[in-house]
Amino acid sequence: MTASLSRRRFLAGAGLTALGITSSSLLAACGGDDGGSTGTGTGTGKIDFWLDIQGDANQKYFNENVAAAFEKAKPQIDLNVTYYKGQDLRRLIQTALQSRSGPDIVRGPSATQTLAWSKAHVLADLTPYAEKFGWKEKLSSWAIEAFTMDGKLYALPMRVDTMLLYFNKTLFEQKGWQQPTDRASLEALAAEAAGQGITPFGSSNVDWKAAGEWLMTVFWNHYSGPDALRQALTGEIKFTDPVFVEAVQLLKGYFDKGWISGGVDKYFAVPSQEIGANFGKGTVAMVPQGNWWMSQVGQYFGAKAKNQNEWDWMPVPALRPEVKHPLFELGIGGSLAINEASKNKDAAAEYLNWYYGDRTAALKRMADVPSTYNIPIDFSDDEIPSSIDPRSGRVLTSLNKAVADGDYGFVTWTWWPPKTDVFVYEGLEQVLTGKMTPADYCKQLDQKFTEEKADGTIPQLPAKGSGK
Amino acid sequence: MSATAAPVATPGARRARRRAAVVGWAFLAPLLLLNLFVVLGPSVATVYYSFTDWSGLGPATFIGLDNYVEAFGDQKVRQALLHNVIWFAVFLTVPGAMGLLGAYLLSQVRRFQMLFRAIYFIPYVVASVVNAAVWKMLLSPTSGIGHLLGIEQSWLGDPSTSLLSVNFVVDWHFWGFLAVIFLAAMQGVDPSLYDAAKVDGAGAWQQYRHITLPGIRPTMVFIVLMTVIWTLKAFDYIFIMTEGGPAGSSEVVATLMYKQAFNEYSAGYAAALGLSMTLVTAVILAVYQWMRKKGWEDA
Repeated sequence: MTASLSRRRFLAGAGLTALGITSSSLLAACGGDDGGSTGTGTGTGKIDFWLDIQGDANQKYFNENVAAAFEKAKPQIDLNVTYYKGQDLRRLIQTALQSRSGPDIVRGPSATQTLAWSKAHVLADLTPYAEKFGWKEKLSSWAIEAFTMDGKLYALPMRVDTMLLYFNKTLFEQKGWQQPTDRASLEALAAEAAGQGITPFGSSNVDWKAAGEWLMTVFWNHYSGPDALRQALTGEIKFTDPVFVEAVQLLKGYFDKGWISGGVDKYFAVPSQEIGANFGKGTVAMVPQGNWWMSQVGQYFGAKAKNQNEWDWMPVPALRPEVKHPLFELGIGGSLAINEASKNKDAAAEYLNWYYGDRTAALKRMADVPSTYNIPIDFSDDEIPSSIDPRSGRVLTSLNKAVADGDYGFVTWTWWPPKTDVFVYEGLEQVLTGKMTPADYCKQLDQKFTEEKADGTIPQLPAKGSGK
Repeated sequence: MSATAAPVATPGARRARRRAAVVGWAFLAPLLLLNLFVVLGPSVATVYYSFTDWSGLGPATFIGLDNYVEAFGDQKVRQALLHNVIWFAVFLTVPGAMGLLGAYLLSQVRRFQMLFRAIYFIPYVVASVVNAAVWKMLLSPTSGIGHLLGIEQSWLGDPSTSLLSVNFVVDWHFWGFLAVIFLAAMQGVDPSLYDAAKVDGAGAWQQYRHITLPGIRPTMVFIVLMTVIWTLKAFDYIFIMTEGGPAGSSEVVATLMYKQAFNEYSAGYAAALGLSMTLVTAVILAVYQWMRKKGWEDA
């Protein structure tokens, strides 16, 4: 082992430390160069994996059904899993990657943010492994292309994301409300609910600052539409186009009417747990949230939550006649990559291949834990295990259909460039508090997007039409 | 007449002195090495990176003073600095006044003084993340204290109250610490001064103003200095309770730096901001030292 400490690595590690970030960079940098290989060897020994799975039950599930199952299948590899909180994990991994240390398997953020990591050359090129293990045949092409830059695969998509409109089914039945499918029926329902003292839509950015982009994703897709978004993301039209500005105005209008969380001030202050509890009780009628929320929403309903209510979900209504319904946004929530500095890349690749390669196990995980282990693999509806919660199963079949028909939209955290993506929710706060007009917001968004697009920091969009 | 001969350093004495020096340096060496790694190294790196366009990952590009020029005209930086100034003004006066009052009241009681000291001090020893999380719930507009009292105010969600609301929580956790510090200082004031003042007919307020406050002046000056530094470092409560929001209404320079480094991938710019704040702190410390030398602290 050679002990080398380059000037760049010394300064880099020290720089982040000086910014107030705990870093073991200097010591780690003494560890020498990586001894891993790419695309060769069988891979044995210990591999580290840092994850952000929260809650004892969820961690227990991962330990037993993923980590232990993998070690049983590959007894020569020791998978060492450490759990962190979501935001902490990203900061820790980012710091560790820069100092050429950290886990062997990198649980990265969304596609667009992982792209920024890849451009900094801290992630290993997975192309040789993809060829060796045939990952391109095992994973959906639209998802794997999102993580391909200049012909190199730099990460694997972790979870398929979409946005849903959850609703309190019992409340709807009691009030005789029908599921809205267009803007007119949605607004009529919202007005009626508000008139009865029920908050039409629950949302909060208290526990997740980026929650604003969930709302923008909904309004841009279901008002502006996926065609306009595709044109903007490919540079054919600008984000200053009225169709995008109007979507922001519409969202702000809903806030101003008090339809979302009772108003802007509450959206910024009421914790999401409280929103969930009110949703369960029926004082909040609907919650626009990602499919990942399906694994948590159940806690607010039934005996545990001391109510008799039931929940369900519906596709987000079309907010303009030109937009199709149902329409599902498509995106990737997180990524799995291999640390460029890993000394055991082959073993890390073995894990990825096991995780993505066993279709039966993957489908079972999807059925066991709603919308948490939804890796983007192609499967037919009849392959979904019958043990799955029907509501969760409906998400899988709906997404399958959306991809097959080409009726899908784009989530901001996958298809927007990284700095533009941050501006989507940071800038939205300025709009909601009246410090910026929707037109100025879209203008600044467009400026950032144009700069990043020119730099090539933008994921590859799925081809138009039917995907796979 | 007596004459004192200059001591002659014998070789043995020189050896002993040298040995003592070597032993002293040997004891200091671990700390010096540690400082070299965790203070000097990062400091040098920060200076370097502040002149670069660096995402926080990968290589950096030298851009001269561009980061500083950008920071000078950046509306977000100006707003954050203004918030730091407001934070300082409130953080200095409110807990300071409460600390002085609390210390005085404590000094007047004999029974249960230790109990009250402990009660005042408890919020200070509770982890900031716990305090912040609890207060975040207590300040909820739909289930918090205000709601129970019939006050419809979103303390953390309203841009006009978010900064002061977080500051209130920080003041709440901090004033007890100041009370204990001031009490310790008050107990160091010569009791005979109070006896003499009483003989001269001074009332309680006059004793407090003319004996107690001058008596604890060095402590107060030190606290002012530390408040400046703590203000520039303000981060944890703000980050946990509002993350600088809504819309930057509670953003201070430290939270802005964090966002620039980790969310915006502008670690070079964040380094420039950090270095600028370090320079501000250094100037304040220099002024403090200069005033001490002038005897202002003891005047």
